[in-house]
Amino acid sequence: MSLNKIEAAQGWRIRSTQDFAGGLFMIGLAALALFLARDLPLGTLRQIGPGMLPKSIAVICAALGALLSLNAMRYKGEKLSGWSWRGVFFVLGAAVVFGLTIRGFEIGPLKVPQLGMLVSGPLVVFIAGLAAEDVRLKELAIFAVAMTTACALLFKYALSLPIPLAPWLLGI
Amino acid sequence: MSEMFANLGLGFSVALSFQNIALAFVGCLVGTLVGVLPGVGPIATIAMLLPITFGLDPVGALIMLAGIYYGAQYGGSTTAILVNIPGEATSVVTTLDGHQMARQGRAGVALGTAALASFFAGCVATVVIAALGAPLTKLALLFGPAEYFSLMVMGLCFAVVLARGSILKAFCMIMLGLLLSTVGTDLETGQERMTFGFPPLSDGIDFAVLAMGVFGFAEVLRNLENPEARDVVRAKIGRLLPGWSDIKQAAMPVVRGTGIGAILGILPGNGAVLGPFASYTVEKKIAKDPSRFGKGAIEGVAGPEAANNAGAQTAFIPLLTLGIPPNAVMALMVGAMTIHGIIPGPQVMTKNPDLFWGMIASMWIGNLMLLVINLPLVGLWVKLLQVPYRLMFPAILIFCSIGIYSVNNQPVDVAFTALFGLFGYLLIKLGFEPAPMLLGFVLGKLMEEKLRQALIISRGSFMTFIERPISAGLLLVAVAILVIALMPAMSKKREEVFTE
Repeated sequence: MSLNKIEAAQGWRIRSTQDFAGGLFMIGLAALALFLARDLPLGTLRQIGPGMLPKSIAVICAALGALLSLNAMRYKGEKLSGWSWRGVFFVLGAAVVFGLTIRGFEIGPLKVPQLGMLVSGPLVVFIAGLAAEDVRLKELAIFAVAMTTACALLFKYALSLPIPLAPWLLGI
Repeated sequence: MSEMFANLGLGFSVALSFQNIALAFVGCLVGTLVGVLPGVGPIATIAMLLPITFGLDPVGALIMLAGIYYGAQYGGSTTAILVNIPGEATSVVTTLDGHQMARQGRAGVALGTAALASFFAGCVATVVIAALGAPLTKLALLFGPAEYFSLMVMGLCFAVVLARGSILKAFCMIMLGLLLSTVGTDLETGQERMTFGFPPLSDGIDFAVLAMGVFGFAEVLRNLENPEARDVVRAKIGRLLPGWSDIKQAAMPVVRGTGIGAILGILPGNGAVLGPFASYTVEKKIAKDPSRFGKGAIEGVAGPEAANNAGAQTAFIPLLTLGIPPNAVMALMVGAMTIHGIIPGPQVMTKNPDLFWGMIASMWIGNLMLLVINLPLVGLWVKLLQVPYRLMFPAILIFCSIGIYSVNNQPVDVAFTALFGLFGYLLIKLGFEPAPMLLGFVLGKLMEEKLRQALIISRGSFMTFIERPISAGLLLVAVAILVIALMPAMSKKREEVFTE
């Protein structure tokens, strides 16, 4: 929006919090990339080294980010809108739980055995479902079991993907 | 000409085996089934369903994938018409008039018109691919690293210009995609780049993981925020086949839409996205009574749907002939092909002619399947769409999780996808359009490789990109479209096209 709007405005202040934050976001990512790539050699144009592209792209990203932020101070644009933590927490949390439990994990003292899809499946459906504002627990619990059964039949038997079902109980 | 028909004959002899027809059928069916879910576009659908093709032989797998692709496209249109939620950018236009038709009790006619228009466009596009496949493959053999690099630069410039919203923001996304593509082991020296010393990252970021996070999970988060946007049609579906007067009204828009979509689809840099928008604008411009548009005009469904399908199909041309995926969906196709040991590019046609032509023939069969299975099943899709979202998104999530896990049998991939979901949600909140980022990511590795090769050949001189005529021409086109897009008069027009 910002670049195309020909709204010459006087004075510098943040006129689009969305674009301004977007610019900072780009600069931040570029800085992270430059930090991570700090030890990679640049090489020469004849023989480009592993660091050349990441570093130069990061510099371009930072420049574009700066331009975006500056534009946000000159032209009007969208405002930042609210952020829903409920969705982020339950939906993404559900996926992480699935990843952690499907084949088990070990982080420090914490140890979870390989639980398989018969446990991870209902977990992912149930936890994710909590993100909805009109959640009904009983309905969700039944749905979680039904979906898992359907997925087990579909992916394990109809498509024979190598996904563990419940190794601790059934051995598959 | 006769050679083309001989080739198509070979293709049909491959695609018409009982097994391959069955695969096309199943592909279309599950593709539509998943694609119908609101907020699940073709990219997420294909990423989710990729694993189910792993057990097949390469030809069968690609035929099934093509079926899934068309199914997902059509499923997206169904959702757009019935629920007013576009599964992806290209079906935005269909929601305008399609959903209005549905509200007036003509949902069936809208769906039928969309299917017939897509089928017609698919038939034409199949012939276009068959006709252009051979000559473009010959052209591709003239391409050295410098030409490939310039072509990809041009593709990215197109992607910037064709993206919705601010050009500057689209630029940011392209560069971010390129930056993400450099994560992982360096091709030449084997040094790890920006991996945090974390072993699963040393192969780079998996495309399916990134796509699923940004287009699957982030989309769920976005939809959870706007529950009121869902508006499932309660009115009757009505009859499916358009009447004679509908056909007369829709015929020319379909033909024009097909032409527009087919041409734009060939462009590298996601030209296919522009097809439906362009078609809609054209139809509105030349209509006798433009005020009907937005209130259920059948031309507003027929033209863009034809353009959408034609573009979706001709987008295979840059992939199959040059080995360059023009958009994110095609990038997933690259992933699928590589899993089966096929590296897309000019050599596919000469080395695996049965695969190349079989796939082209199966495109036509896939379109036919859509017509045959989708129209009778419309009732089923409507039932599916009436499932409340509070149950639908957990189902989407378990499919996504199992799908992502199965791509590499890596549990950590699922967690990564969640991370990219968060990233995608952040991008949405910051007003960035993620599609150009995916394209930058897809082309990034190949661009770096070609750039390095070109500079080694030219001994470090950038002049090589300008001295070689084809490369110079491509770069000139890239600069020209950027300049045109940035001109004030043009940028106003561009905004008009996208806001309509």
